[in-house]
Amino acid sequence: MYKLITNNPELHHDVKNSELIEGSALDVLIHVRSLVHLGSLLLTHPLCGNLRPNHQPFRSILIDEKNGLADLDSLSLIEEAVRIYQSCRTITPHELDSSGRIDYAYIDSELMRESLEQYGMMKNADIKAAPLLLLKKEVLN
Amino acid sequence: MKLELHKLSVKSLKFGDKTGFKDGTLTVNKAELLEIISEDPLLGKNIDVDIAMPGEKTRIIPVKDVIEPRWKIEGSGQVFPGMISDVETVGEGKTLVLSGCAVLTAGKIVRFQEGIIDMSGPGAEYTPYSKTCNVVLVLEPSDPNMDKHDYEKACRIAGLKAAAYLAKSCAESDSESEIETYEYADIKTGMNSLPELPKVGYLYMLQTQGLLHDTYLYGVDVKRILPTIISPLEVMDGAIVSGNCVSACDKNSTYSHQNNPVIADMLKRHGKDFNFVACIVTNENVTLADKRRSSSYATKLAHMLGLDGIVITEEGFGNPDADLIMNCWKAERYGIKTALLTDEYAGQDGASQSLADSCPEGNACVTAGNANEVIHLPAMEKVIGYAEEANVIAGGWNGSLSEDGSITVELQAITGSTSELGYTKLGAYTL
Repeated sequence: MYKLITNNPELHHDVKNSELIEGSALDVLIHVRSLVHLGSLLLTHPLCGNLRPNHQPFRSILIDEKNGLADLDSLSLIEEAVRIYQSCRTITPHELDSSGRIDYAYIDSELMRESLEQYGMMKNADIKAAPLLLLKKEVLN
Repeated sequence: MKLELHKLSVKSLKFGDKTGFKDGTLTVNKAELLEIISEDPLLGKNIDVDIAMPGEKTRIIPVKDVIEPRWKIEGSGQVFPGMISDVETVGEGKTLVLSGCAVLTAGKIVRFQEGIIDMSGPGAEYTPYSKTCNVVLVLEPSDPNMDKHDYEKACRIAGLKAAAYLAKSCAESDSESEIETYEYADIKTGMNSLPELPKVGYLYMLQTQGLLHDTYLYGVDVKRILPTIISPLEVMDGAIVSGNCVSACDKNSTYSHQNNPVIADMLKRHGKDFNFVACIVTNENVTLADKRRSSSYATKLAHMLGLDGIVITEEGFGNPDADLIMNCWKAERYGIKTALLTDEYAGQDGASQSLADSCPEGNACVTAGNANEVIHLPAMEKVIGYAEEANVIAGGWNGSLSEDGSITVELQAITGSTSELGYTKLGAYTL
């Protein structure tokens, strides 16, 4: 069963099967590692794209929750991620002012949205019309 | 395919009555340029156009993208296909280039994901865009609560339209241009005419992690493609456009795609040191299934083309390192030798592990530098944009901006400082 593990409350509310971790990004990783030990598979990469652990306080990871033998690929990815988070300075959500917190929560949600939609995990599929390309034809053509 | 770049060398910029080029000076009709970009109802009323020249005591912050003004004067299609032009294939004919000039888009989108460009001082040494004559668009949304995706798109299109407009306005210039000619034979001809040379390809990784971390190929969101083959000449006509709001140091600006030095150098060495067979474009998605699918597919294409070697460039860091490494070992297991181009996040002291992933096959790796290196940027006389953003951009921290206007940040905050296409000012050269 697919499940999101996150410390981002904004995303937690929008996702069908989600577990909210009250804590840091490292707490999310450690919880996911425990689930991987019990047999769960990682569906998304445990590290952020383009943000160091000390830049992004939120972490959200999608897993396929299972019981059984540990999947070695998932295990090595999550162990490596935990090692990276333990080896450098991290930041927790309450260290940021509210506008910073909103921006980081937003980016975390946005980067997960695509994956969550792929696995049918969003409560309200957010379908938007693409904005029109506004082009003054006589100027550019 | 043959593409001629007709380069007009821009040495200075000024505002004037008619946009055009004469004697090394690009004159910009500010009102006309503003009219073109402000026709988008998503952009606000207080947008502005400014000029920043090399050597000036000017800081531009926060910078979203950098674009080189180009306009096709002969051949099919038009620059930035699928974005502001039709979707027709580009990469042949003649393209006018305002060399030495750049359009910069500046404005707050996602606050921590934009960069700094200093036109002089120590920061200027780290960004190639301190040496270009810059036309800066300072943008704002028409509604402060606008959806960020809509606003990102509005800023992206405004930059492309401005770049196309400037170059188009110089198409009739009677100034002499310097002509650079690039030729790319089809794969069959290349294979037949250069049978003795090693067959080398270029695996071009593009950041595509989700909305606001996206790159476009002919207007198509690259995260939705399977890896595909393009001619390196198409890239020079703006087939690849950045839509990224990610760390400034190693997001590949549209300018660095247009001027991709890996492609330029490989074309120069084609027929001498190796046969440059093809350019394979791939993505960097978030799910592990996508990462596996794209890396397997891209390396399979390389194998189907019979490549002996491949150059792989990454964009960004963190989980894209996993894509880089998968591309590396999967290619090597096909017997294709790899050379990787990336940058490092080794901590402020440089002592931490540089990449988030690694593999024994990745034994030929070129770095563009450590993005965590700390730099002090003295105060500037003029700031275009919003100086206070230094406290929130990636690479900065609360307190990065001092009362005297100086800024202390990691190199990560400087646009293009550790470009993973190698489009940087600082580097090591073999003498």
